[in-house]
Amino acid sequence: MDEATQIRLTVNGRGHTLAVGPRSADVAPSDTLAHTLRHVMGLTGTKVSCDRGACGMCTVLLDGRAVLSCSLLTVECDGSSVTTVEGLADPETGGLHPLQQAFVDHTAFQCGFCTPGILMSTKALLDENPEPTVGEVQEALAGNHCRCITHYHVLEAVQDAAGRMREAALEPGPTVSESSSNAPERDVATGTR
Amino acid sequence: MRSFRHVRATTVAEACALLAEPGTRARANAGGSDLLGALKDGIYPEPPDLLVDLKTIPGLDAIEADEAGLRVGALARLADIARSEPIRAHWPIFSQAAQAVASPQIRNVATLGGNLCQEVRCWYFRYPAGLGGSIDCLRKGGPRCPAVKGDTRYHAIFEGRGCFAVCPSDTAVALAALDAIVVLEGPGGARRELPVQDVYTPLGTVLEPGELVTAVRVPPPAEEARSAFLKFTVREPIDFAVVSVAASITLRDGVCTDARLVLGAVGPRPYRALEAEARLIGGPIDERAAVEAAEVALAGAKPLRGNAYKVPLARSIVMRAILAALEG
Repeated sequence: MDEATQIRLTVNGRGHTLAVGPRSADVAPSDTLAHTLRHVMGLTGTKVSCDRGACGMCTVLLDGRAVLSCSLLTVECDGSSVTTVEGLADPETGGLHPLQQAFVDHTAFQCGFCTPGILMSTKALLDENPEPTVGEVQEALAGNHCRCITHYHVLEAVQDAAGRMREAALEPGPTVSESSSNAPERDVATGTR
Repeated sequence: MRSFRHVRATTVAEACALLAEPGTRARANAGGSDLLGALKDGIYPEPPDLLVDLKTIPGLDAIEADEAGLRVGALARLADIARSEPIRAHWPIFSQAAQAVASPQIRNVATLGGNLCQEVRCWYFRYPAGLGGSIDCLRKGGPRCPAVKGDTRYHAIFEGRGCFAVCPSDTAVALAALDAIVVLEGPGGARRELPVQDVYTPLGTVLEPGELVTAVRVPPPAEEARSAFLKFTVREPIDFAVVSVAASITLRDGVCTDARLVLGAVGPRPYRALEAEARLIGGPIDERAAVEAAEVALAGAKPLRGNAYKVPLARSIVMRAILAALEG
């Protein structure tokens, strides 16, 4: 057994080393991943609403799986790879991910507070199942609430996005995810590559 | 959330020793989807000063199936149980019950051990400290159960004693219908095995300080067994059962030779309707038999002031589960 003294996280392809301790830039054992992402790393794209695992706003990908960052301790994510909504856009050009563009084109949000979580649940679904049925989309998004009732638009956007992503996968040349994973990881804490 | 020390266990023995240490208020953490909510709401009169992470114990998430049956480690995640090929093929109601829990994101982290040992959802027990102070109910060592004179719409209709909260686990209901055995390990290498429904008491579980659920064993299914798991909720996703039913029925030449009828969310443990099972055995299963068995299953129900509706609801779900098992 041991007590962690530092936490290594890869967030959107960048390596981070965080000390476990009492300072505001540190990780306290009781800090949630959502807290660390938002308040230590400044990645405020991930939203927190209920903070009890019921609403899905804080959904991120942890080693490729959709999880609720409000209900995970950062100290228990040591060594993991996290993708937040900030990690969807092309890191070189800043261009929106086809999934994000489909949500824009279908106006699949109103206030937008639930959108980062819905995007990440959708990303997890489409990575595993590139051609989901409407029922499979509904099942995958069952843990994401939207109080503006944009669900119908979301279903259309996800189906459209799935088609766009399948087309992009067929095109020759490196895809967004390949080019980002080839880039050397930079350690934010030490500034080294 | 109040801060605490956090330790990563690497063996079961180590975790049990830490949890049993006198003077510490330690709690085990697996997926965390239940515990963190309870800690944020400050529901415990004595909040933990130490959290022991079990996820760092290697191999405790294994799912193994062979001729001797199924063995699932306590750290197996519900999503992995739901999609496991051998479980879907041979113990389908276990897979269905795991899939019926909460949301995709929660199933990706929530573990079998955590689903079995999660705290009850009673709103008096769960009342947040931040809204005028948590409620010191009987389950927390307080003087009385405030539900008795309060809002009992989701409380027990069977076997309540002192506390009337219901066991919220979906997997426990399916596992009880599959005659599953829970493996408990404690300090000093102590180890015991109990049928899943015997893990629960009206005020909690039989787990001793330092004791952990480490695995669940399920015997091989009878060849002619057919089963169904039905869960009634107020809203479909992310909801706890108002009533759930697991039915497993063995038919030989059109005659029922064995039956399990287990009701969930009706009492402090999965409730086996033994008399209804006996009513089914020895005859053909048709709609009339299902209706009669459902009548018998609910005959001994003792609803509280606010949950009489659960009796006809449960009766209906029992009947449907029996008929669904025939299809399954």
